[in-house]
Amino acid sequence: MADRRRINGPGGTTLPPLYDDDPLPLPTRLRLPNAVRSVYLKTGVTPSASGSAYLEVESRNGAPTTGMKLSCTVHGPRSLPRSAPFSPHMVLTTHVKYAPFATKSRRGYLRDASERDLSTHLETALRGVLIADRWPKSGVDVVVTIIEGEEARQFAVDQGSEEWDMMNVLSACITVAAAAVADAGIDCVDTVSGGVAALVSLSDDGKSEIVLDPVATEHEEILAACCVAYLPNRDEITNLWLKGEVSSTDPGLYRNLIARAVYASKGTSQAIVGSLNEAVTGV
Amino acid sequence: MATTHTLLSPAELNYLHTSLSLRPPIRSDGRLPTQFRPLTAETGILQGTNGSACVTFSDGAEAIVGVKAEIEKTPDAQQSGDADEKKARGDWVEISVEIPSQRDDDAATVFLGEMLREALLGDGEFAKKLWINRRFHWRLHIDILLLSPPLSYPLPLLSLTTHLALLATRLPKLKSEGDEDPMFDDDWESSVFVYPREGASEGTRPPITLLVVTVGDNVIFDPTKEELAVAETALAVSVAEVRRERPRGGMEVDSKGRELKLLSIRTIDPPSRLTPPGVPNGTATTATEGKPAPSNLSSETPVAGVWKAPLGGTKFTVVDGIIQAVLEKGGVADEVLDGLDGVELA
Repeated sequence: MADRRRINGPGGTTLPPLYDDDPLPLPTRLRLPNAVRSVYLKTGVTPSASGSAYLEVESRNGAPTTGMKLSCTVHGPRSLPRSAPFSPHMVLTTHVKYAPFATKSRRGYLRDASERDLSTHLETALRGVLIADRWPKSGVDVVVTIIEGEEARQFAVDQGSEEWDMMNVLSACITVAAAAVADAGIDCVDTVSGGVAALVSLSDDGKSEIVLDPVATEHEEILAACCVAYLPNRDEITNLWLKGEVSSTDPGLYRNLIARAVYASKGTSQAIVGSLNEAVTGV
Repeated sequence: MATTHTLLSPAELNYLHTSLSLRPPIRSDGRLPTQFRPLTAETGILQGTNGSACVTFSDGAEAIVGVKAEIEKTPDAQQSGDADEKKARGDWVEISVEIPSQRDDDAATVFLGEMLREALLGDGEFAKKLWINRRFHWRLHIDILLLSPPLSYPLPLLSLTTHLALLATRLPKLKSEGDEDPMFDDDWESSVFVYPREGASEGTRPPITLLVVTVGDNVIFDPTKEELAVAETALAVSVAEVRRERPRGGMEVDSKGRELKLLSIRTIDPPSRLTPPGVPNGTATTATEGKPAPSNLSSETPVAGVWKAPLGGTKFTVVDGIIQAVLEKGGVADEVLDGLDGVELA
């Protein structure tokens, strides 16, 4: 008797679909090296949460995919469960999760290593900003969902590009979380914003240059990248993540890289200020 | 954060913080700011592995690393392109970190593993060492096991142990040629080191990750748990030594000139942000006498001698100072690498 309770595969043999090679040419960077992509940021999109924000990054020129989309909700501050030990500060928990359909390869419902890694970075970036001792015995949950990641089709299988993509994702996570925390009315010393800069090798000669807001697929090779969470008014960095091969012959190179990432984050902080102003005057 | 909460009172925290902000800082165990805890290291302790190491710190923290290799078919064998071009992928290396009393999918454990991984794969040279031919590659499993309970943030210990284990790792010698199915010499004596030993060795050596904190204006290396509890900034900086082929063999004039390469930097959330604040003398009495509680703003201003958890981020100059101190010629990284060079590789 046929098993009608489950969805079974076809009875006969099937052939997996074969697609033609992607006809799209390799994307190249049309922006200037010091230009960042514009973003759309809106706060207060989730009524049930105490604070929320939505961020959309401009898509690449002529790309079939749209840019990255993230949403962040902040729940709390609320009292800790009775079983939790006493805490003199607000307890911050961060979750970063890709939606299962966010990237070309499907993400499971359980958080994988890279998502956990991102949430630790985000926690470090936010913890320095919150004035946590004003809320003893309470907890705040910051949940960031990446609705759509940026990953071009032909490079989805290429592991190399995905690793560098993490930096962009983290920078966007920091920006959207900062806006959502401000929307929730939690006291902060400043609004934090994320910025990325990368050292890329130029294809024609062996030279390299520093670009802001890099897209991994637009460059031949990324040598090193740096992501910062920056407080513009206090001129301080709460989270710094740099990786890659920084040549030791030029000691000023890493310094330059961090400085450029800070410069990129100043651009995104204007977006936060703009959207928060809009939220205040719009009411 | 991997460390459990320190059980220190605000007064104790303030005492530690004050003594560490002096110039020069006074550490509770009497070390210099750049001095590492003494350690005992041993390699080749596990017979069933390709390479292994065990490091014990003087405070009793102990870690074991085992490196195992297996052959795997490269799924997408490159049909085109010349055979000299080695295309390697970072996911040929698997790192697992196990820390007692913590789940292995805990965010802090994953963070540690990712940090060690990105330092190792930072320059893309390591994965190329695992390339056999266009159809096969080695898959390397690096299993890091902390034997003692996490006394302090275990990052430097795990990193040094991994460094030694990788230096001791040997792979069987390849006998086959080209793109044949690989055949290996079954004599273990003729196996080759993944990182070639002294002599004609060129390229990057395995990385080490140093934990650096700042208290006041002081940069302090290898902090203990108590020092970490009062730190204002904590950075994990990974560096690797680059060896260059010297044109003339035996003429080693500047043997101290070690070339260091920066591979990764990560900010670590210092546990000092979670410490309880001290209460200044005046505020405690006003509360009991029933007077109006002091405004929120006055509690924000720091009072000398009263502990307050640090707030905000780090200035760029401080970050820069830390990196300078790590990369300094003849600095801590050099000293640590010199010490590890003395370990006999079994």
